[in-house]
Amino acid sequence: MGCDVVTVSTDTQFVHLAWKKSEKELANVKYPMAADPTGKVSRMFGVYDEASGLALRGTFVVNPEGVLLNSEVNFYNMGRNIDELMRKFKANVYMAKKTNEVCPSKWKDEGDKTLVNPGAKMVGKVHEALS
Amino acid sequence: MSDATGLKLGQNVPDFELATYDPVKDDFGKFSLADQIARKRWTILFFYPADFTFV
Repeated sequence: MGCDVVTVSTDTQFVHLAWKKSEKELANVKYPMAADPTGKVSRMFGVYDEASGLALRGTFVVNPEGVLLNSEVNFYNMGRNIDELMRKFKANVYMAKKTNEVCPSKWKDEGDKTLVNPGAKMVGKVHEALS
Repeated sequence: MSDATGLKLGQNVPDFELATYDPVKDDFGKFSLADQIARKRWTILFFYPADFTFV
């Protein structure tokens, strides 16, 4: 899909290797596992927990120009929904191609209803534009 | 507490590099945002607390 997934924790690359090789759940992992032992990049994205030295569950989508387009951060006890992440990613790719359209909350994939040229005419008429 | 100085949406992410373990090559490597921009690739960064725990 023209996209690279990179996982990041404050573990070193050596620990990533050991974990990958010992945990059978990771048997099919293909993405690079990045090491941020100083927390520098985790701090930059605002997910570094100074108290524990660990990174919170943050997910960030960066476009090919290096611009941050989505951010989602969950606390330790909340897992992430991959379907929602893929929805956001697909919507970003779609809107990069169709710059006069926006993707409403129920948009899932190409072909679904978008709003075209949202402007003065759509004010107070979003319901009509969506139906 | 988490550091609140996170990046803002719509902002250019400052360039950074991280050492990686690449399971496909079974070797160490590096991830560089500048490389991603040069190769015109989208990036999804997925942070999690720690190896050897549930993700």
